[in-house]
Amino acid sequence: MDEPIVFTGVSKRFGALTVLDDVSLSFQRGQTTAVIGPSGTGKSVLLKHIVGLLHPDSGTVSVLGVDMARAKDKDVYAVRKRLGMLFQDGALFDSLSVGENIAFPLQRHRADLSTKRQRERVDQVLELVELPGLYDRPTSALSGGQRKRVGLARAIVNEPEIVLFDEPNSGLDPMTSDAIDHLIHDMKAKLGITFVVISHDIVGTINVADRIAMLYQGKLIANGTTAEVVRSEHPVLRRFLGRNLVLPEPGDDGLPRLPSI
Amino acid sequence: MIRWLGGFAWFVVDWARACAMRRPPPGRVMEEAFRIGVMSLPVLLTISIFVGTNLALQGYNAFVPLGGQRLVGMFVALAGVRELAPIIAAAMVAAKAGTEMASQIAVMKTREQVDALEVMAVNPLWWLVTPRLYGIVLVMPALTVISIFTMVAASYVAATVQLGLNGAVFLEFARNATSGFDLVAGVVKGFVFGIVICFVSTYCGFASTKGPEGVGQATNSAVVISSVACVSINYIVSQVLYG
Ligand SMILES: Nc1ncnc2c1ncn2[C@@H]1O[C@H](COP(=O)(O)OP(=O)(O)O)[C@@H](O)[C@H]1O
Ligand SMILES: [Mg+2]
Repeated sequence: MDEPIVFTGVSKRFGALTVLDDVSLSFQRGQTTAVIGPSGTGKSVLLKHIVGLLHPDSGTVSVLGVDMARAKDKDVYAVRKRLGMLFQDGALFDSLSVGENIAFPLQRHRADLSTKRQRERVDQVLELVELPGLYDRPTSALSGGQRKRVGLARAIVNEPEIVLFDEPNSGLDPMTSDAIDHLIHDMKAKLGITFVVISHDIVGTINVADRIAMLYQGKLIANGTTAEVVRSEHPVLRRFLGRNLVLPEPGDDGLPRLPSI
Repeated sequence: MIRWLGGFAWFVVDWARACAMRRPPPGRVMEEAFRIGVMSLPVLLTISIFVGTNLALQGYNAFVPLGGQRLVGMFVALAGVRELAPIIAAAMVAAKAGTEMASQIAVMKTREQVDALEVMAVNPLWWLVTPRLYGIVLVMPALTVISIFTMVAASYVAATVQLGLNGAVFLEFARNATSGFDLVAGVVKGFVFGIVICFVSTYCGFASTKGPEGVGQATNSAVVISSVACVSINYIVSQVLYG
């Protein structure tokens, strides 16, 4: 299965508002796909269809071969155990410490790991998101950027096959933002994870995305490799990309090069 | 109102389908029971004491002019044990624990933590409702019994010390008016009220609109709706048992 996530003719309305209008889109295994579009176009709604928090009015969303709207709860939960999601503001549990938040998916679903092994795994991902030694820190003591990194650590701690990001760069300082981009890049290279990155900011995603899909007024108006999409002549896309977006020089593979920190 | 009831009924059915046959999250039931108990006990004791003293006073005002001093104990026992103690326990637990349930869940919803539970393959009804439900069901009967004894004891003290009634007569008439059955009925009422408060309050949390206003509204509805529900159910139960 090379396409772990497939949208087929998905429409979603809230009252009179059509948020997704006949969207067909598939996400490739081991690739990073950015879904971009202005605020309020339905990017988060699209993401919530992937995890089964929202169901389409028509069409289907298939994730790892499971129809997320029609499958039994048991099967939906089985799929969710294989994916991780970073929420816009982290969605950390206030009553738990940083480490307990990250350990949560392991405690719930990895009874096969001893407490000691779970702790080791948590320390390992804390290191990965560059927050070593913060296990006992209460989440209330974290900055916005740190919350996001902890949310990311929690999303990847159980070695998911698919990781979803809702606006990973919004509200972050450029340093943290770059760090997250690098993390995505590194993890993808090492683990072959399928990433979906939602963003209203194309500049922030160009560095990490293999493919870009653009949503505009509920419709998919562009979908292709990053190189194809940034060169597209579609007028809305051109406007969205901005007049002064300076593309980095392409690397050997034709993709824009990742700037080094 | 009809919409609310419909949503509420679905919520309870959803919980029952997903969680009724499932063991609660380990360790969390006792934690909730302890929290609910500790949180509600001080205010419950205070209110029970003063309701008890005033029951004695008004019983005195009602019966002593008619020469019915002995009836004061009986009045206190019937009104306090059968009606006021269970309903006051319910109201105080709704005010302390119910509001907290509603606001905690509404805040979690606002901050996408409820969605995060779903996405991490943990059923939010199981994780958030089950421990609170079993916790409240454990402590509510105990709180009701505590309220009953506190209220009667406070009336006894007020009747003998302040109003100068004969303590032995007071107790004899109180005991004759009530029986072990009334204690059992109080426990059953506590049990039922606990279930009602928990489902109403957690539902108010889950059904809240996102944002600070939603949290305030959920908290407010939780205490109002669960109090009204408990008083109405109390009416029906008492009609059946004592009518
Ligand atoms: N649960 C919901 N109920 C009603 N309207 C919603 C809901 N979720 C999103 N919307 C509406 O759908 C539109 C798209 O929202 P969203 O996907 O959050 O946009 P964005 O692209 O900025 O992430 C917005 O107009 C929003 O108000
Ligand atoms: Mg969004």
